[in-house]
Amino acid sequence: MTLSVTGLSASRSGRTILHPTSLNIETGERIGLVGASGSGKSTLGNALVDDLRARGQSVAHVPQSPDEALDPLRSLNFHWAETERALGLAADPVRRQGIFKALRIDGGDLRKRPWGWSRGMQQRFVIAMALMGAPDLLVLDEPTSALDPVVAARTMDLLDEHLSGGRTAMLLITHDLGLAARRVDRLIVMDDGKIAEDAPTQTLLNAPQTPAARSLSAHRNWLSLPC
Amino acid sequence: MLKLEYVSVTRGKTATLHDVSLTLAPAKTLAVVGESGAGKSTLLAAVLGLVRLSRGSVTWMDDAVHRCHPALVMQEPRAAFNPALSLRRSVGEPLKARKLTLDKARLERLCRGLELPPDLLDRRPSEVSIGQAQRVGILRALIAAPALVLFDEPLSALDAVTQKHTARLISELQVEEKFAALIVTHDLGYAAAHSDEIAVLRSGRIEEIATAEAFIERPQTDYGRTLRDAAFSLGALEGAA
Amino acid sequence: MTQALFGLLLRAAVVLAGTALATFALLWNAPGDPALAITIARYHSVVSPEIIDKIRVEAGLNAGFWTAFQSWIGPILQGDFGNSSVSGRPVLPELAAAAFYTVPLALAGLAIGLVLSIPLAIFAAKRPGSWIDRGAVAIASLGAAIPAYWLGLLLILLFAVNLAWLPAMGARTPAHAILPALTLGLGVAASLTRIIRSGILEARGQPFLPAFRRRGVSDKAIGRDHIAPHAAIPVVTVFGLELAFLLEGAVMVEVIFARPGLGSFLVSAIEARDFPKVQAVVLLAALLFVIVNLLIDLFYRMIDPRIGERDA
Repeated sequence: MTLSVTGLSASRSGRTILHPTSLNIETGERIGLVGASGSGKSTLGNALVDDLRARGQSVAHVPQSPDEALDPLRSLNFHWAETERALGLAADPVRRQGIFKALRIDGGDLRKRPWGWSRGMQQRFVIAMALMGAPDLLVLDEPTSALDPVVAARTMDLLDEHLSGGRTAMLLITHDLGLAARRVDRLIVMDDGKIAEDAPTQTLLNAPQTPAARSLSAHRNWLSLPC
Repeated sequence: MLKLEYVSVTRGKTATLHDVSLTLAPAKTLAVVGESGAGKSTLLAAVLGLVRLSRGSVTWMDDAVHRCHPALVMQEPRAAFNPALSLRRSVGEPLKARKLTLDKARLERLCRGLELPPDLLDRRPSEVSIGQAQRVGILRALIAAPALVLFDEPLSALDAVTQKHTARLISELQVEEKFAALIVTHDLGYAAAHSDEIAVLRSGRIEEIATAEAFIERPQTDYGRTLRDAAFSLGALEGAA
Repeated sequence: MTQALFGLLLRAAVVLAGTALATFALLWNAPGDPALAITIARYHSVVSPEIIDKIRVEAGLNAGFWTAFQSWIGPILQGDFGNSSVSGRPVLPELAAAAFYTVPLALAGLAIGLVLSIPLAIFAAKRPGSWIDRGAVAIASLGAAIPAYWLGLLLILLFAVNLAWLPAMGARTPAHAILPALTLGLGVAASLTRIIRSGILEARGQPFLPAFRRRGVSDKAIGRDHIAPHAAIPVVTVFGLELAFLLEGAVMVEVIFARPGLGSFLVSAIEARDFPKVQAVVLLAALLFVIVNLLIDLFYRMIDPRIGERDA
């Protein structure tokens, strides 16, 4: 099923931070939403999730840091059960164990509060909650920037594996085109609150059309920078 | 020459650094990579003399490090400045501390090198972008012409494009200023592109030290390989041979 | 956890010992001759110096500070607060009789305060900055600024004099307790409203709440399961202070409404320089504070165990 939004916009203290934006997302599609800091990519991600949710679509969101997703006063068990209730799902230990195994957090003690787990495991727990309802769209906002590279790479690999062949579409929001390019088929470049460019990954890497996309593409690799 | 010999630091019962030996020659760059908790911050603190060594020594040209007035560039650009002072006053602090007078021509040259417009220094930290604030942080570190500059995750608060731009400006200034740079980072891509040598720190110990090219091509330890493969998988080493 | 509990108990013991020492030191150094004061209070006339000296020895006032302190604290540790230096009767039964009036009054005041402040604070925090919120804050500020004696007189004027619905003075019937409890409760409600309101507003700014909304958790569940526990932390913190306000207010309210209780007990004891009585009130108040703060600490650790870990 194609998810589509039209005319999303946002403003903060009188300034437009997201100009009217429309977007179509195909079933199982992998999209990278890239741009410099302040370009409006997180704003678009949030607006997209809120709009689709309000229209009854099944969509999940993973914020940048587990601190933005988990209540430090509540156990992980509580978070899981609460999300099940919110999605109208019956408690299902088998489903839970399946997702936890896929993300390699099946050894964690769910009676603990979030800070009783490492940050890498917390972030994977948040991703697990997002996968619980097998959503049509999973929006990941800089999902690995709070993690060490080894854990970050492992988390992305596990997520890739879990999503592959499924119906869940993924929108990966990141400032790092090098990171996104390896994981997605389509790239959307944000600049100044607008979509500057929207193209298949290879097309955008090889022939960027706009200054924003050209800058991102030229600076995507540490070891092959232009002079 | 910065020389760390068998440096050990113990906090409570646990050793946060264990027999760390490193050398860094003038005008060269050494990157120390590792994950959170590996002891990177303690290493910087040890070089700056902010923690007591339980063993070993840290010297610069066979003398105490503080004699060479090392400078530090911090991770959070805005938090590194007094929010009430103009950036110009903050930049002048290292000179005031050493009772030196400001060399206007030098300030202008560094500002040009860091692509800072002349009037930017009259603003306060909250009135500039994070990228600009970090370049002012580098300006403050370099203003008194230190022979040794320590960089504590200098790019992690910046976006990918700004990171690469800032790293290039630092390298260009290093050619002119000839300071030795000790960079602590978790970003192997940055280390590979901008350092002469890479030291891998894990649980307070040095796992391996190699030239940047040699390390990326063929890490000597399992852990080194794990780090390199993770960086590849995150797209940080794209373009390497 | 046992270690943490031990630490808390040790802290409580140190506070109590310090209070006992400070209390005794203050009385020891009080201006005037305590022996003379006791004598005058007991015999209502000037008597010979021999009798004054006899009383001095009787009360242990002629020995040095530490000797006097030891002979003073020993029986107290066994629960014996001694005899009134004026009437000669044991202090504790009289104190218990006074507390019998004051404790229900304080609890009623607290109950009224909670019943009024919680809904008002939640209502005000619904839309911060709206006129409802500003009105609630203004009423609360006004309530906190009005002294209890003035508010008490105002209530007497309205309900006892003008409307003649309620009795004003004394403590003969339960109806006599309504106006004093209301005076106390309104003051408590005023300060609690502001604290609970700002606690809720702060809790609502927690960075993780938008994620819960995006996960589809209802606003009601978010309020109950996430905002309320976070808001409770600052509220519980000031609860110890609130207790002080409650005791102080109860004493004042008792004086205004001419009620028997700890207020009149303490005032008459101070006027007569009846040391054992004053000491008993001070020490039991300190004990109460230490116990309440201990409970607050334990409550903290229950809702947020990080607090205990940070101490360690």
